[in-house]
Amino acid sequence: MSPQAVTVAYLASAVLFIVGIKGFAKPDTAKTGNALTILGMLIAVAVTGFVAFSATTEGLPFVAGTIAIGAVIGGLLARSLPMTAMPELVGLLNSFGGLAAVFVGISSYLAPGHVYATEAERNVHLVECWLGVAIGSLTFTGSVVAWAKLRGTLSGKPLLLPGRHLLNLALVGATIGLAWPFVGEASTDAGLTWILALTAITGVLGITLVLAIGGADMPVVISLLNSYSGWAGAMTGFVLQNDVLIVSGAIVGSSGIILTIVMCRGMNRSVLNVVFGGFGTEGGGPARKVEGEVRELDVAGVAAALSTAKEVVIVPGYGMAVARAQHPVKELVELVQAKGGRVRFAIHPVAGRLPGHMNVLLAEAGVPYDLVHEMETINADFPKTDVVLVIGANDIVNPAAVDDPNSAIAGMPVLHVWESALTVVFKRSLGAGYAGVDNALFLHERTRMLFGDAKKTADALVGALRSL
Amino acid sequence: MTRCVMPRASYDPAVRTLTLGVPRERAPREKRVAIVPGVVAKLKELGFEVVVESGAGEAAGYGDDSYRDVGATIAAASDGPYREGGASAYGCDVVVKVMPFETDEIAKLREGATTISLLYPARNPELVKALAARGVTAIALDKIPRITRAQKMDVLSSMANLAGYRAVLEAAAAFQGFFGAQVTAAGTERPARILVIGAGVAGLAAIAAGRALGAEVRAFDVRAAAKEQVESLGGKFLTVELEESGEGAGGYAKSMSKEFIEAEMALFRAQAKEVDVIVTTALVPGAKAPILVGDDVVACLKPGSVVVDLAAEQGGNCSLTKPGEAVVPEGVTILGYTDLPSRMATTASRFFAGNVLALLSDMARGVAGGEAGFRVDLEDEVVRAATLTHGGQELPPPPPPEPSPPAPKKDAPTIAKKPEPKPESATGAIVFGILMAVAFTLVAFYAPDAFVQRFTVFILACFVGWQVVWAVAPALHTPLMSVTNAVSGIVLVGGLLQAAPGGSSLAVILGLCALLVATINVAGGFFVTDRMLGMFKKGGPR
Repeated sequence: MSPQAVTVAYLASAVLFIVGIKGFAKPDTAKTGNALTILGMLIAVAVTGFVAFSATTEGLPFVAGTIAIGAVIGGLLARSLPMTAMPELVGLLNSFGGLAAVFVGISSYLAPGHVYATEAERNVHLVECWLGVAIGSLTFTGSVVAWAKLRGTLSGKPLLLPGRHLLNLALVGATIGLAWPFVGEASTDAGLTWILALTAITGVLGITLVLAIGGADMPVVISLLNSYSGWAGAMTGFVLQNDVLIVSGAIVGSSGIILTIVMCRGMNRSVLNVVFGGFGTEGGGPARKVEGEVRELDVAGVAAALSTAKEVVIVPGYGMAVARAQHPVKELVELVQAKGGRVRFAIHPVAGRLPGHMNVLLAEAGVPYDLVHEMETINADFPKTDVVLVIGANDIVNPAAVDDPNSAIAGMPVLHVWESALTVVFKRSLGAGYAGVDNALFLHERTRMLFGDAKKTADALVGALRSL
Repeated sequence: MTRCVMPRASYDPAVRTLTLGVPRERAPREKRVAIVPGVVAKLKELGFEVVVESGAGEAAGYGDDSYRDVGATIAAASDGPYREGGASAYGCDVVVKVMPFETDEIAKLREGATTISLLYPARNPELVKALAARGVTAIALDKIPRITRAQKMDVLSSMANLAGYRAVLEAAAAFQGFFGAQVTAAGTERPARILVIGAGVAGLAAIAAGRALGAEVRAFDVRAAAKEQVESLGGKFLTVELEESGEGAGGYAKSMSKEFIEAEMALFRAQAKEVDVIVTTALVPGAKAPILVGDDVVACLKPGSVVVDLAAEQGGNCSLTKPGEAVVPEGVTILGYTDLPSRMATTASRFFAGNVLALLSDMARGVAGGEAGFRVDLEDEVVRAATLTHGGQELPPPPPPEPSPPAPKKDAPTIAKKPEPKPESATGAIVFGILMAVAFTLVAFYAPDAFVQRFTVFILACFVGWQVVWAVAPALHTPLMSVTNAVSGIVLVGGLLQAAPGGSSLAVILGLCALLVATINVAGGFFVTDRMLGMFKKGGPR
């Protein structure tokens, strides 16, 4: 292929990425968007294959075999895991992207035959390698830690090392500082040592950064790391002088940043506050103590309330995902609809462990997406709602965010479920949410608790409603 | 502020009570009683000795004994004039009645006493004069302002609620069919259709009662705020195609323009052809009720239809209404009953007594501890509005209350409660700007040509990505994340280049490793995205 043909093919690939992601604006066009993105990827890979093996096809079977193995592993991972494990999977896949960037960076550094026209060109190339490896390594270890936290292998509690800010600062300093001797190093072997040291340092940085972040903030971390893997890809593009890498890396980077911003707005916190912690330590005075007695309601009582309700809103949270209660919840929706009630879902931007996590789970259960509403559109309707079912959600329905300026979640936009006529909270036990904040909603006079596993409770409710 | 702790009835200083008299209602067909045994104990707590005229509660189901049992005194039915020290219900410090005091009743009141009752001063100016002349403090329950604080004392609302309910039951009794749908072996009946005109308290109660009986209910009201309330009870809200708000002061509707009334009449004529029952509840304070169901509308009704006119006492909303009677012109039954609450005297009396108790409790606030009584605090908005005569004078009417805010008022508190987002810090933007400037300068002066070209592509791609991604629907954020995650695996292109022959063996091996993990990332990401997107479906028509 002529260089012009390659450039045009890469351009087509980049355009397909952009058009494909644009398709995600609406559920109707998202599938086509995904197909276009896949097409873009296939073109990029095929063209690169042509370029790489234009001189000789020696080694092509190895490369083709590796791609085939990778594709099978990836496909199996994607198909075998349940939808509830989606956040972990995204974290895991992301770590692979970061690892690949590290390999490519090092490999590119070692690959001989670079003829630099000028000193500046060489320096720029080496800095690109350096940045690509650094970001890749950080993404890799950070994603692995996030994955382990989401799986529950590691505790979701933030691990706050003493002096961690200083430690992180030292690691960042080392990352930047070591770049000078590396760029100045003429011998590739000595340079390799530098670059491996860099991989280790940024790897540790990824671990210490993510360990200090609580499980509830993992969605932000995942999307931030996803963004990093995009930037790492773009850096690789600079290293390899490949435009399609630069364009796709930039798009991925932007999308990660945007999702991070969306989620931080959902919690009324800044990105820095999420990444560097300090959650709950600011603000004057202690948070208001929540005291009183909770009132319970049994399954039969909730079923009776649902059978006569005209307006029902369901607020799902991570607890629904954990209990895999989305299927009985879907049945519940159909039963209430059959009895003449209108059922809608209210989704908080940070419900679950990924942005849009709840939407995916509800879609899996077959809940039509036009029943699923965002917080802004449904929050004003709670005063007109007869029954609200809060299923495994806590902080996102905590009135303290509105009325207690000393609460750790003060100012975070929340769903005003307490304005409805009756709020039923499905909960395993009376613990605080991820933010460790007491919830006055549970003691509200119009709130009733329904203790137990969300799936079992929802199943029992379905049975009770059927027999009514 | 006028503070007047009422003098005690008995001059024995040991007894620290006031007397509260409950006379028998004199009006024909009036079965209610102003105070029921259930509130006597609470009145005692406020320091009142309750004196009930014998037989006062009989018609409402509260016999003399039931009052005696809770510690009230029964006074003989007294038709004679007031006598000092006589145990007459009229001779008490406070006299409570349902209906307005009649002239001969006023003569039996003692000077300085307080009366609490309905009074309708617009219709009964001579009674107000007589009460003032008698030196009585007259509190008119029908003049209690319709504000939130006074809701618990609002007799008009509690009685309207009963009247609206009863109106539908009377209509059902007069109607020759089922209200609810019937599917039987002998035949099928559609639900009866009820049109409720005026969705105030009575109208809303009528809607609820009609729905409960299984009828299909539509309602009309000139106030846009009523729409939500009608719909909340399962009624269908009718509108005319004209922009005009009928929101008037004090929760009543104001009079409307000629065009509006014409459109309204056309609507009623069209509705009359469809409905089986019309319940009218339109009242304009202090004026004759407007005619809404004229002869022409009645002519549109099917024979056997029923009109219940809740405005009968003020002339009626229907041109054919005879107040207090049921008439059947041309097969349409028109009920002009003026005693609907009285037909449910037991409950009506209990509600009425509850309202009076709330008023007295409110007026007892601020009276020194241990001291019996209440104060007529003319600074108090509620008391001032309801007090018509005081100290031998007629009081001028108070300024009218503010009209309630227009329709979307329910949303207002929600908006107000929205937490203030933390202001976005400008420092971040400034730091970012400086970094960008430095980077651009470095690139411009140091980097080689090829790099500058790539840098251009990079920056442009960032902006394109930014624009495209903001358009993504929030529900699709997880699929977006996984698709971008797949795209980030494009590093595999780099791995491919490195794995190509020609490099050192270490470089090739690293390239193959990169290729493997990056392919996992790409394939996994795309597959998972596809799986997720396959599940998103739109709800079909049910």
